[in-house]
Amino acid sequence: MNRMPPMCREIEPDLLAVATGEAAPARAEVVEAHVSRCAPCRDELRQYRAIEGLVADLRRAPLAAADPTLARAQLESRLADLKTRLVSFGVFSSPLGPILIARSEQGVSMVEYLPSETAARSRLARLAGANAVEDEAGTEGLFRDVLDYLGGRRTRFEWSLDLRWARSDFQRRVLDATSRLPYGAVTSYAHIARDIGVPTATRAVAQALRWNPVPIAIPCHRVIGSSGDLTGYAGSKVSLKQQLLALEGVPVAVGGAGRVERRAMYVRYLAEAEYCVPTCGVLATTPLSELTLFGSRERAEAIGLAPCTSCRPDLHPIPA
Amino acid sequence: MAEDAFEAVVATHHAEIHRYLARVTGRAGDADDLSQETFLRAFRAHRQLPPGANVRAWLFTIATNLSRNYFRGETRRRRAHLAASTDGPVTDAGWPEGEALLSEASARVDRIIAGLPHKQRLAFTMRKIHQLDYEAIGASLDCSAESARAHVFQALRKIRRGLDDLATVQTEPSP
Repeated sequence: MNRMPPMCREIEPDLLAVATGEAAPARAEVVEAHVSRCAPCRDELRQYRAIEGLVADLRRAPLAAADPTLARAQLESRLADLKTRLVSFGVFSSPLGPILIARSEQGVSMVEYLPSETAARSRLARLAGANAVEDEAGTEGLFRDVLDYLGGRRTRFEWSLDLRWARSDFQRRVLDATSRLPYGAVTSYAHIARDIGVPTATRAVAQALRWNPVPIAIPCHRVIGSSGDLTGYAGSKVSLKQQLLALEGVPVAVGGAGRVERRAMYVRYLAEAEYCVPTCGVLATTPLSELTLFGSRERAEAIGLAPCTSCRPDLHPIPA
Repeated sequence: MAEDAFEAVVATHHAEIHRYLARVTGRAGDADDLSQETFLRAFRAHRQLPPGANVRAWLFTIATNLSRNYFRGETRRRRAHLAASTDGPVTDAGWPEGEALLSEASARVDRIIAGLPHKQRLAFTMRKIHQLDYEAIGASLDCSAESARAHVFQALRKIRRGLDDLATVQTEPSP
């Protein structure tokens, strides 16, 4: 090839382009003119065109040994498996700081307060068998729900939850009982323990809620100590608990870890259908494990409770 | 892209991607594995794909990247094998396809392609067998469209030279 005359060498790339049908018309004309005079290049062009024909044969020939059927079937089953394990997540900056929201095809599997705007240190990595994929667009709608809640435009989440990664059945029962706590209400860990039929398991309930995989949506911030102290939230984020309770209209005395002002809240005894002022009967000395407290009459009535017929909170509300 | 849309992606493209991988790796078993891996990766990432993206070209990019990792591993394995072997170089039987269906010349072209350097083999296969445009090939190989074209042309020159010692090249493509 190097012994080619300069003209032939120069025209060679265009000659290939002509053979493969990719030459610009002007270049093709130059090549045609050249090969009409130059027999070796004419032969080259013929050879390259012949190769095009051979390659076209290859394109059409089936690859006898490469049947994709089995691979396709295996792929379908692996995809089905992946779909059940796939968890897509987004990291968003919220008024409470960076949060991660993750969902599977079954429902929301995680809401997590992050120390920074990256998922690097997320607990997501600890979901055994889960395949986490960042998908901000796919989780943005959930984040909007959170923003609506934080902006006071939403009082409940219509989310389906995926609690497959809960630590135990006990934790699932705790989460389930907690998820029924209404907006604007608080109760104690002991009450939840009582609710799930293990009244002595107060500390275990607190632990189960410490590892709540979906805080906010499962409102563990509405569960407090029997003394009224906020105790803890998502590890050491008790100030967030205070913020969430304030948002929901629960009166919290600041100072220390914060304490719910029991005297300023309406009260429901166990599963009664009525709500009372906090001084009704013996309620003032009844342990919090038997009570649910409401920040306002509206909150109690929102879940269908009627004013107590003896203390008449409707006629004699708690003085502001 | 919705989940069920991905089923359609598999249905439309799996066979072709499998064929591409079979050709570039030279082994049906590897095409089975790599084609599955291609689509599993695609599934994890397809939500980020902008609307109207060229899905076929994107799948070729994933498959090409996987095959390049495969080649890297393969080269290592072969070196290790050679180092451990006293029988000298192992002859690669090449692609055991239905060569009976091909003319001798086409089969020879096929063997020359199998012996090309990876990038040329990938570029040539994408262009000439799967007829992707140079932009897509460049995206797959992480180079410009111009370089992609240069790889294809270089492959053509090697095929041309490889056929030189064959007494005659069929001038008419078989029907």
